[in-house]
Amino acid sequence: MSGVENQAHKVEQLTTFYVGHELFGIEVMKVQEVTGNPHVVPVPLAPEFVRGLVNLRGQIATAVGLSELFAQKKNENKKEEMSVVCKSEGNLISLVVDSIGDVVEVDRHKFEKTPDTVPQTLRRFVKGVYKMDGVLLSVLDIETIFKELSPISEASGRN
Amino acid sequence: MSSFSQEEIEEFKVEAQELMDMSEKSLLALDQGGEFKTCFDSIFRGLHNLKGGAGMMEFLELQAHTHELETIFMSFKEKTSIPKNYINFFLRGIDAARSILEGGKVEFDFTVKDEALSEAKAEEVAPVKEEVKKEETKVSLVTPEPVEALVEKASSGYSIPDEVMAEFLAEVEEIIESISQKLQKIENKNYDRELVDNLYRDVHSLKGSAYLFSFHKMGDIAHAMESSLEGVRNGTHLPNERLLDCLFKSLRVLEALAGKMKKKECDEAFAKVVPVVVKALAFAAEKLEKVEVPVTEEPALTEAMVNELADLIEEGEALKEETPKIEEAVMSIPAQTSVVKEKETEGLSSIRVPVALLDNLMTLMGEMVLVRNQVLQYSNRTEDLEFSSMSKRLNVVTSEIQEEMMKTRMQPIGNVLEKFNRVVRDLSHDLKKNINLVIQGAETELDKSLLEAVKDPLTHIVRNSCDHGIELPEVRKQCGKNDTGTIIIKSYHEGGQVVIEITDDGKGLHKDQLIKKAIEKGIINQAQAAGLTDKEAYDLIFAPGFSTAAQITNVSGRGVGMDVVRTNIEKIGGTVELSGKAGAGTSIKIKIPLTLAIVPALIVKCGKGTFAIPQVKIEELVRVDPESENKIEMLHGAPVFRLRGDILPLVDLNNVLGLQDGTESYKDKVSNIAILNAETFSFGVIVDEIQDTVDIVVKPLNRLLKSLQVYAGATILGDGSISLIFDVVGISKLAQLGQAKDKAAKVEEDKQRKLNDMQELLLISLNSPTKHALALNYVQRLEEFEEKEIEYSGDQRAIRYRGNILPLVSVNEQLGYELNRERKETVAVVVIERAGKLFGVEVNEILDTFSTSIELKEPIKKHHGIFGNINTDEELIVVIDPYEVISRAFDLEDMDPKFDVKEAAKSIALGDKSGTILLVEDTVYFRKAIKAVLEKRGYTVVLAQDGQEALEILNKENGIDLIVSDIEMPRMNGFQMAKEIRKHPAYAKIPMLAVSSKADKDYRREGMNSGFDMYLEKLKPEVLLAAISELWKEERKAA
Repeated sequence: MSGVENQAHKVEQLTTFYVGHELFGIEVMKVQEVTGNPHVVPVPLAPEFVRGLVNLRGQIATAVGLSELFAQKKNENKKEEMSVVCKSEGNLISLVVDSIGDVVEVDRHKFEKTPDTVPQTLRRFVKGVYKMDGVLLSVLDIETIFKELSPISEASGRN
Repeated sequence: MSSFSQEEIEEFKVEAQELMDMSEKSLLALDQGGEFKTCFDSIFRGLHNLKGGAGMMEFLELQAHTHELETIFMSFKEKTSIPKNYINFFLRGIDAARSILEGGKVEFDFTVKDEALSEAKAEEVAPVKEEVKKEETKVSLVTPEPVEALVEKASSGYSIPDEVMAEFLAEVEEIIESISQKLQKIENKNYDRELVDNLYRDVHSLKGSAYLFSFHKMGDIAHAMESSLEGVRNGTHLPNERLLDCLFKSLRVLEALAGKMKKKECDEAFAKVVPVVVKALAFAAEKLEKVEVPVTEEPALTEAMVNELADLIEEGEALKEETPKIEEAVMSIPAQTSVVKEKETEGLSSIRVPVALLDNLMTLMGEMVLVRNQVLQYSNRTEDLEFSSMSKRLNVVTSEIQEEMMKTRMQPIGNVLEKFNRVVRDLSHDLKKNINLVIQGAETELDKSLLEAVKDPLTHIVRNSCDHGIELPEVRKQCGKNDTGTIIIKSYHEGGQVVIEITDDGKGLHKDQLIKKAIEKGIINQAQAAGLTDKEAYDLIFAPGFSTAAQITNVSGRGVGMDVVRTNIEKIGGTVELSGKAGAGTSIKIKIPLTLAIVPALIVKCGKGTFAIPQVKIEELVRVDPESENKIEMLHGAPVFRLRGDILPLVDLNNVLGLQDGTESYKDKVSNIAILNAETFSFGVIVDEIQDTVDIVVKPLNRLLKSLQVYAGATILGDGSISLIFDVVGISKLAQLGQAKDKAAKVEEDKQRKLNDMQELLLISLNSPTKHALALNYVQRLEEFEEKEIEYSGDQRAIRYRGNILPLVSVNEQLGYELNRERKETVAVVVIERAGKLFGVEVNEILDTFSTSIELKEPIKKHHGIFGNINTDEELIVVIDPYEVISRAFDLEDMDPKFDVKEAAKSIALGDKSGTILLVEDTVYFRKAIKAVLEKRGYTVVLAQDGQEALEILNKENGIDLIVSDIEMPRMNGFQMAKEIRKHPAYAKIPMLAVSSKADKDYRREGMNSGFDMYLEKLKPEVLLAAISELWKEERKAA
């Protein structure tokens, strides 16, 4: 986060994409790459939002369907889906989105907290909202998504 | 400390640890009677380098500490041994250094050390001084001698350019190192001609270089060394200790000299030392000659001798002056290069690399393999020959790189095991026990991460063995054991796993004590305790909160030991097994996979996905098709499979993983079952397709997916597709298995059934409407011979069989059945061994084997060769006694002792004694038969399945009056058992009777030697009974 912040205190760069009809964004520095629709190997018994595993040049990433995660309905036109790959603490996740938008520069002044009316299921993944021209851009909290994938109950080490 | 980066400090710490390890190892070696010189040098090197490093890295406290240690240590420089209390002191010193290194504040007392130390010190230091004095006198003797070019040398040293000087010194150091290594080899009596030649060359080139640069002192010493080696090199003399000692000392002087030169100092003290060294060398060489002519014994270095020496030295000096120096310098060049080369390879033999780098390399390697696969696939489709050959080459090289990559993570297990020398040494000292640690297979390699993981569990086990296992020397003596206990750690590869066995010869495990303890601790209750098998009782030791120590010592006994051991080992996919004998020691067997990163796995298909099952978890694979005898059956909606008489629970992966809905009928299709081992029980999984076994690289899953408990990880297969790796235990939990009977219970059940039930019979047909059978235990082999191959000697039929003549006997004839009128083309023969010889029993046809639990009944009519009858539901089967058939046919000389059977019967009838007999026999058939015979005569019979169990019974039960035992048995055979029993004072005189089908002379002899009173061949009831009564008679007489 620091890298982006200190660049110009006022401006933030976001990679944007659509899930359903909503526009979302992630800080550019958190995104490793954007790929097409890779072959996903399903993981039986996993929660529905885990689409499965993806082979990213020898590394295994977990594909997370954002529409399922946000408790929206299942996506129908899967063919056009894209993946946004992010990395945290050695874990790779591949966020499956409907389509990719531009990389935008946003003014921090236009940032606002997520309105309370947004459903709780979605709100916990959203840091806040940027008021863009004609559209609202929700900033994804990628850390909570990672947390979602590492339940604390399993946070075990050696005894 | 701030002037160094964290990285540098870390690196220093690693190195410091290594140095301390080295010193510690050598101290221990010294303690074990290792060669003083070598050990001393290595300890010194360790301490010295540690001091140097610490100083450089500004670890001032550590530097001061090691300096102090080093100083004390140096007082032993001229000695030949270091007393034990000093070794302890140095070990503690190293420990303290470790704590200091880790930032701990350590108050280490250099003066008090040990109560015994001060006196020891006085005692030790005195001779040192004396020796020094001696040295001085020697020096004074030689100083007057004219030694040329002492001062001149210094000046010439300065005139040499710095780079050249540095190069020269580096070379000198290399040569010294190389010489020292070779000397060590010679010292260990591990040398050959070539080595001596090389050594000679080294010394020679050293001399050459030294003179070339006008370093005469150095040259003189080298020259003296060379001369002293002359005889050895010519093969006329053998190197002796004194010579080696002198050579080593000379090397040290050379080292010191080189050090001085480096600092551009010229220490005049050397002027005195050099002649002494030269003289000593010459003297040693001289002595060598005398040793060769083995007349004189080693006289001490007396004044007279020194005088004598002076002359010798003079001679030597004279000789040296004559030596043409230039020639030497020229000669030295080729030798030098070879030395340098050798040194190079040694210097580069290891390099430190961060593990993370290796991990990255591994990952990249995986990617490379995938690319390779793609290239190969592509090349298969093209016609381009050049490309195809290139891709093949790529294939080969990639595989090789992959193989080598795997090796980079492997480390010899000795790295961990050798640390135990110290552990055991310290413990045996603390516990006042004598314990000897033997390490075998230290070179066995293991993945580094696994090595780390087994370190703690192993330490626990070794400490336990020292503390609880090995007894105090007095106790051991009382038990008739050597007062020094031995712990053996053995490691080796077996079936893709690494096995580590820790065996001690201590007091072993006492089942009753274990159970008592477990009840006290509330781990089990009384009722549970009653039904425990030995193995289950041993397993109690792994239960959390269990500790066998009567007292909690600071060594072990905190009750956290063994359960932690088991959890840790199981965490890395290993298993722990414990076995032991009361009074004879404990053995713990740890099996761990070679590497965590790469495991062999079976690839299976289920639904649309491919999954991997770790090979170690797979017990067997079964394919069931509509024609198979056993099918998948539904039991209350759950699929089960009958596997060799047991019901095996099945898990249909398609259902459990939700890949397919509804239960399916397994009736009309082919099913594949993989039978898996979930630690304490087995179950089968039904999969759609079984593919291949491949080595997979395990990649971790994120926690969410791991928490599903079904997957242990994921892997990328050769074609780039991802496959999930099953966690076998997790699947069994998912399917709610595990409450079912576990393995131990099953073993017990089997055992019970064996004891009571099954006997295996071989069904044969004869010229009789009734089916006949003989006990399978008798049968060696089943053969079918061509009739035309059969030869006759008189009317005795025989056949050549495995280089011998196999006499044939027809059962039809012996049992009085009709003989075959026409000879068939082939003859079915049952081969039976009797008294060390093979016999062929001819039957009409070999039908089948079957097992039955039905009791053998006495024959309706007594007939020779018939043992009895078995009434099954359908028919009556006549059981033949093949031994009797054979003895009757061949009038065999009965090897069993002759008894008056009638007499015996009478005495039994008179109520001779109705004692308790322990019957030790592994085969069901004989166990039952003999038991029946004995019980009929009113004896009480206690059964044991093998020697081991027999011993346990003897330990537990009183009132065994006599033992009847088989010889060939699993776990502990009859001979071993007899020996063990005879050792025990209470059973030294108990009558023991061996009954075996192996009854040739050798066996009989060994039987009697092991302590049996009588040795009978199986199985003639009258003889057995007579023998028993005979034995009792003797016993009574003796009493």
